[in-house]
Amino acid sequence: MATEPRAVPLKERPKPFGPLREGVRHTTVAGLLERGALPLLLVGLILLFSVLSSTGDTFRSSGNINAILGNQSVTGIIALAMVVPLVAGYFDLSVSAVAGLANVGMASAIAQHHTSVLVGILVALGIGLIAGTVNGLLVAGLKLDALVVTLGTYTFAGGLIQLYTHGTTIINGIPLSLSSWSSEKWIGVPKPFVLLIVVAIIVWYVLMHVPFGRKLEGIGSNSVAARLVGMRVNRLVFMSFIVSGLLAAVAGILLTSSTGSANPTAGPSYLFAALAAVFIGSTAIRPGRYNVWGTILGVFLVAVAVDGFTLMGAESWVNQIFNGGALVIAVAVSTLMGRRREAQARKASARQAATSASSPVAGAAPAQPSS
Amino acid sequence: MAAAADSDRGNTGTPVATADVRVRVRDLSKTFPGTRALDRVSMEVRPGEVHGLCGGNGSGKSTLIKILSGVYHADGGTIEVDGVETDAGAMTTTQAYEAGVRVVHQDLGVFPTMSIEENLALGSSFKTGRGGWISHRAMRRRTRELIERFDIPGSPGTQLGALGRAGQTLVAVARALQGEESDHGGLLILDEPTVALPAHEVEMLLASLKRYAAAGQSILYISHRLDEVMSCTDRVSVLRDGRMVGTYETSSLDENKLIELIVGRRLDRVFPDRLAAATDQRVLEVQDLKVGPVRGATLHVNRGEVLGIAGLLGSGCSEILRTVFGDLRRQDGELRLNGNVIDFSHPDDAMDAGVAYVPENRGEEAAFADLSVATNISFTALSRYWNRAWLRDWSLRRDASGLMSEYLVKADSQSALLETLSGGNQQKVILARWLRREPQLLLLDEPTQGVDVGARAEIYKFVREATAAGAGVVIVASDFEELVHATDRIVVLRDGEIVADRPTTELDADEVTRLAMASEKEIAYGN
Repeated sequence: MATEPRAVPLKERPKPFGPLREGVRHTTVAGLLERGALPLLLVGLILLFSVLSSTGDTFRSSGNINAILGNQSVTGIIALAMVVPLVAGYFDLSVSAVAGLANVGMASAIAQHHTSVLVGILVALGIGLIAGTVNGLLVAGLKLDALVVTLGTYTFAGGLIQLYTHGTTIINGIPLSLSSWSSEKWIGVPKPFVLLIVVAIIVWYVLMHVPFGRKLEGIGSNSVAARLVGMRVNRLVFMSFIVSGLLAAVAGILLTSSTGSANPTAGPSYLFAALAAVFIGSTAIRPGRYNVWGTILGVFLVAVAVDGFTLMGAESWVNQIFNGGALVIAVAVSTLMGRRREAQARKASARQAATSASSPVAGAAPAQPSS
Repeated sequence: MAAAADSDRGNTGTPVATADVRVRVRDLSKTFPGTRALDRVSMEVRPGEVHGLCGGNGSGKSTLIKILSGVYHADGGTIEVDGVETDAGAMTTTQAYEAGVRVVHQDLGVFPTMSIEENLALGSSFKTGRGGWISHRAMRRRTRELIERFDIPGSPGTQLGALGRAGQTLVAVARALQGEESDHGGLLILDEPTVALPAHEVEMLLASLKRYAAAGQSILYISHRLDEVMSCTDRVSVLRDGRMVGTYETSSLDENKLIELIVGRRLDRVFPDRLAAATDQRVLEVQDLKVGPVRGATLHVNRGEVLGIAGLLGSGCSEILRTVFGDLRRQDGELRLNGNVIDFSHPDDAMDAGVAYVPENRGEEAAFADLSVATNISFTALSRYWNRAWLRDWSLRRDASGLMSEYLVKADSQSALLETLSGGNQQKVILARWLRREPQLLLLDEPTQGVDVGARAEIYKFVREATAAGAGVVIVASDFEELVHATDRIVVLRDGEIVADRPTTELDADEVTRLAMASEKEIAYGN
């Protein structure tokens, strides 16, 4: 009877920090600096910790480098899982808990139900699929606020983990072949890091080089307009949560392998580190947009800093200080640069308007140069 | 050119004393890097005068307003308000405000969910008692005075959202002028106040403005809608390329003359010739359509024909277009495209069938403001660039550049963000997005809203080219003058029903207005 409801503009759209830029010339010093600030900072930190006498030897050791590369891969994949729906403008805070759930499900299947590793992996992926479906239905189907809903499913999934494990870690029964995979190398690089890079390339490809990704970006920019250029907005947003859930499951699988166990608190604890990485990442590479390589840089920026300061003798507080501090600094830098650039864009816009006025007006006849 | 202002001074078409000047602007110049936005512009506004300010996009209107209100500092020149001269290169917003310059922008900056009283109080300050708390009695008294003085159709407690756009504009005006009390000094600047207003509300607003002017208020009125400028102003100043073309008595002009002054050369007409493209072949047939306020509309569009749908705001014109495009579900009735019954459940289905739709509200429904022009232009054709392995980005950008020159879009490059373009150029991008699909049926809802005269002409030229290629076009526009000129045939929607279906050769804007108004009472309203 009533007309179909219009595509819903969601109340709260998470906007990346700083004004969005795509067309700014990349040749200006400021532009290059902005795009490259994060990589430069990362390189700077690595150099610093390598030469400092208190940290240099240990920091440069292959053991330490491998530990950083390997340990951060779970954070990285969870962060990437968050990026996909964020491009369309929707938070998915549940990813770390879903990774934890997949971790527990997989470990339990293998260790307690004596299934093969392959079945364990399928169980994990199944959990990710279910979680993505639930989130997708709630957000795209019922049009509930993504931030609140996924905070809810995050907590809910955490509760399920506790319910299933009674708070105990599943530690026996994980085959050595699985737990040793994470310490193996592939041409000198830890396998978890290789997995992270493979996942990053796939996500980058899907977001940048497949219509699906472009459409998500359109929805993130203006969901009403997206519907009116023929995008199936609800379906696409739903799909983005499915992808997010599956990526979270991959992170859970990696977690099972790298820890050789399932600690009920392990998965959910990645939430903040991943969130920080995503937001720091939105200030680099493609400033103002959530992006894959910026996110990866964000993960390692924080990891290197934390590692370096830990080697200098800092204690466990350094982790939170760095996640939080880096996030705030990233916002500040990007906002300040953004304001200056916005002023430049305004001038450019005024210039453009002025030149367009002096150009010919086409009436019924084809336009001809007038001046 | 600048001399025109002087030569007209003796020609008094208005009852206002001639030598009397409220605001005098002298030799105002402003240069932005690479652009001379204003070049020695001079003008005068008399007391109690509605003074129109016209010009295409980028002609310098907004720069002039910003200098008058102290937002920009001029490179040189002076501004004199009520006999007090200020250096325009150093005037601050505070000085401008104290001199009595008030600007009401297109975006009114009012709060629809708050009451009239609260909206007015936010503009000045809350009346406080001795202890510093809000004195509601004093505020109520003051609000009543303002409501009476500015003919606001409501009471202090009325929620602003219930007022309609014209009423909200009056509140914005009252808020801007409230500090002046009843002394009509200074200058009220209205920047495109009627962009979002339906025809009858425009009349109400213009009538109020004329009353303020009659009481002594000087008003600078900026609008792209030339019929309004012609009907409500006493004199008109025209800017072109940052220079003052001249100031003219409105009574000495007609709309075509004004267009010529704005665009700087003779336009035989803004609207292109009707091409003899119309056929008898029906592209779209709508039978007894019921949707929203539409209670049974029957209409059709032929190949090569431009059909206009005229109706007041809320009459359901837009709903008809949205239903055809699959964005709304119809309650009843039948739709046929090329003779086949259609029942689109999503715009995607309509697009596959060759339907295109440019929505009414560009900013909210069509523009991806923070994405590039290339991205904006490609969203209707993404699948063309998908070769099953990757998106051919290079072709996508190259085609976007091609479309930009084909549709005369002025921007730095295809990678410029849409939000950096002027309204007219943005609309051309939106239009190009659809015309590249060579649609069989093109639905346009207010296609020239917020678009300057020059770009408007270009847009209608593209529409005609589409009909020449065989498309049927439906245009909904609240500017009936424009609708009459741009279409071959008009159907008028009133009370949810089609009350007229006539070729535009037999219609004029007044007749369309008469047909679209619900009752005789409303026709009298506003005059």
